[in-house]
Amino acid sequence: MYQVEASKALLKPRLWFRRPESLRVSRNVVMLGMTSMLTDISSEMVATILPIYLVFSLGASPLALGAIDGTYRGAAAVVQVASGFMSDRFRRHKQVAEAGYGFSALGKVALVAAGNSIGGIGAIVAFDRIGKGIRTAPRDALISLSSTRDNLATSFGVHRALDSVGAFLGPLVAFGILLVAPARFDAVFFVSALFAFLGLAVLVLTVQGKPWRAPREETTPPSVKRAAGLLRESKFVLLLVAALILSLTSVSDAMIYVGLQRKIDFDPAVFPLLYVITAVAFMALAIPIGRLADRIGRVPVLIGGFAMLFVDYAALMSDHIGYAGLILCLVALGAYFACSEGVLTAVAGAALPDDLQASGIGILITVVSIGNLVSSVAFGALWVTLGLQQAVIVFAAGLALALLIAAPLLVRSQRSAPLHG
Amino acid sequence: MGSRNAKILIALVVLCVVGGGVYVAVAATGPSGTDTDQQPVATDVLDQADLLVRAVDPKQPTLNGGVFEVDDGKVHRGGDLSCERVYYAAGHGICMGVAASGVDYIATVFNERMEGGEHTIPLQGLPSRARVSEDGRYGAMTVFVTGDSYLESSTAFSTRTYVVDMATGKVVNQLEQFSVTKDGKPFDAVDFNFWGMTFDPTDSDRFYATLGTGDHHYLVEGSISGEEMKVLRDGVECPSLSPDGKQIAYKSRLGHSNRWHIRVLDVATLKDHAVAETRSVDDQAEWLNDKTLAYSDGTNVYTVPADGSGEEQLLVKDASSPVRLEEPLIGT
Repeated sequence: MYQVEASKALLKPRLWFRRPESLRVSRNVVMLGMTSMLTDISSEMVATILPIYLVFSLGASPLALGAIDGTYRGAAAVVQVASGFMSDRFRRHKQVAEAGYGFSALGKVALVAAGNSIGGIGAIVAFDRIGKGIRTAPRDALISLSSTRDNLATSFGVHRALDSVGAFLGPLVAFGILLVAPARFDAVFFVSALFAFLGLAVLVLTVQGKPWRAPREETTPPSVKRAAGLLRESKFVLLLVAALILSLTSVSDAMIYVGLQRKIDFDPAVFPLLYVITAVAFMALAIPIGRLADRIGRVPVLIGGFAMLFVDYAALMSDHIGYAGLILCLVALGAYFACSEGVLTAVAGAALPDDLQASGIGILITVVSIGNLVSSVAFGALWVTLGLQQAVIVFAAGLALALLIAAPLLVRSQRSAPLHG
Repeated sequence: MGSRNAKILIALVVLCVVGGGVYVAVAATGPSGTDTDQQPVATDVLDQADLLVRAVDPKQPTLNGGVFEVDDGKVHRGGDLSCERVYYAAGHGICMGVAASGVDYIATVFNERMEGGEHTIPLQGLPSRARVSEDGRYGAMTVFVTGDSYLESSTAFSTRTYVVDMATGKVVNQLEQFSVTKDGKPFDAVDFNFWGMTFDPTDSDRFYATLGTGDHHYLVEGSISGEEMKVLRDGVECPSLSPDGKQIAYKSRLGHSNRWHIRVLDVATLKDHAVAETRSVDDQAEWLNDKTLAYSDGTNVYTVPADGSGEEQLLVKDASSPVRLEEPLIGT
């Protein structure tokens, strides 16, 4: 398969240390990464043009899209705990993930068929969000179950790198199509549906549903009671508390971009470049950071990743930063994403029993998204009442405290982890 | 992965590449549509007025419409300008619309012969408001920016308001960079949005605009050279100064809805009154003279007396973005 070859090229080490054989990731992880990449190309193609399509072709108010998106984000958070447990309960991680990717693919097909109404678009965004909610926990569980103790973080790094390549390529593909076929949104929707379909096909045809660490059929499947018992299991609770306080004290990237914009008099047309630089840094750093985490320890790398936010906090507190400072901030932000996104899930994977991987990861993602939401609201409120500088000082102090508390909690959550490998 | 599955996957990839390629190729050779050929229709309501308007296709009001001069009840198409929002003063015009690709927005700066293309400005979002100062020195453009999708930033929507040097066709500043004071104290919040600039007819450095934050829509007064603004009062959106600089026409939001009524404010006293138009209007009104307003409901241009008397009248059918012309451009 040429994809495998291509992905192997991606994994070719550019690192300075010798690569032990155990740091290779399983083909399952690469294939799950390909699925995510293709699905993300598909989703980002649509996301890029949806605002203008709504307004331009359907005459909708720009406010409509924000309302649509906000509503379904909440729905997705609820779905992921349920889908995580269902995949553990019935030992059907792959099938549940397929349902999630299938939902999104179906949404894209519907967009081609009936994209001409606001209600239709709303339903499709809903499908995409719910699909994302359904697939995330079982997919991450599959990545975890396809890995060993030695390459867990690398596996997540490989997956997140491929995923972000998709997020990066999607808008380019969409713009490319519109460059040759101006204003033909239907062509973008059609190609997007094909990418979503291919992503699903890679998952169905190439991903092994029962990786070697998957619980054996003859063992008793976990009950609701046992899954709920995760919340009384001290190691997992320590992890959740650590993840919650870290997410509560992290300023969202959207807020950081707005803040940075106030610090530098740059051409407003350059603004989208901020996202691009961060995305490229994330893409480039995901695999090396995963490897580093497997080599020197996941917890130190995770803590270091969150500490990267201090670079951005310092910039937001200073009066003026130059272009070099700006780029440093964006790279730090990308590194923070690479750590918090993949390594955190790897830490969870290592702390969770094999038969409750998806349930635990589902709970973790939900806790983190609640933390992020509260942090955004709180930061906005502080900005209004105290001003940007003071708000950042409060968050920086909070993050420093959170890191001091979280570090020992995370270390303890990893102690005698149930993961055997 | 079995070799059977591998073969199926390769077949699917080939199928998708061919299918997608054919579809895009057919689309590329087919009709594109970012512009409408619709023509506005003048009425004889106000035959002494000389206006620029932008044509609206009632079926697809968001397509770029041609720019027309309406003079003495006659409609003239000048040049090939086509956009969503237009403004003009003293030899300098701005035409903001969708770029040919259909995904980008672009503003074209044009001259008194209605020739554009020498200067274009890429826009970061949906065109909303355009103004040019009376002396043609500065232009102001407001766009709606919708959430950038990279890494799922959650900003639902925001506005950006740019200041353009009309002679060079370059953006020289944006209101988001200006400092704001309220009751003499610095004022700042993460959700600041600015829109709807209007210039002082006697001093193009001075302007009024709207500052939106939380539930408030403040009228701000500012200076371009000083890069500063101060809050004057709440509840004023899309201000528009009269030619004599004494009154501000604006849209007043009805409760928390997205519906507005046009009201007129006295600059000296900040006292205001309603006009006879009772329907909701989402537009930055234009003064035809010191006593008369023109505005669009999205498909037609209407006129109404500014003092609250009389009633609204249809001025130009299938048009929006009315601009008062001091002297005819092409209709001579």
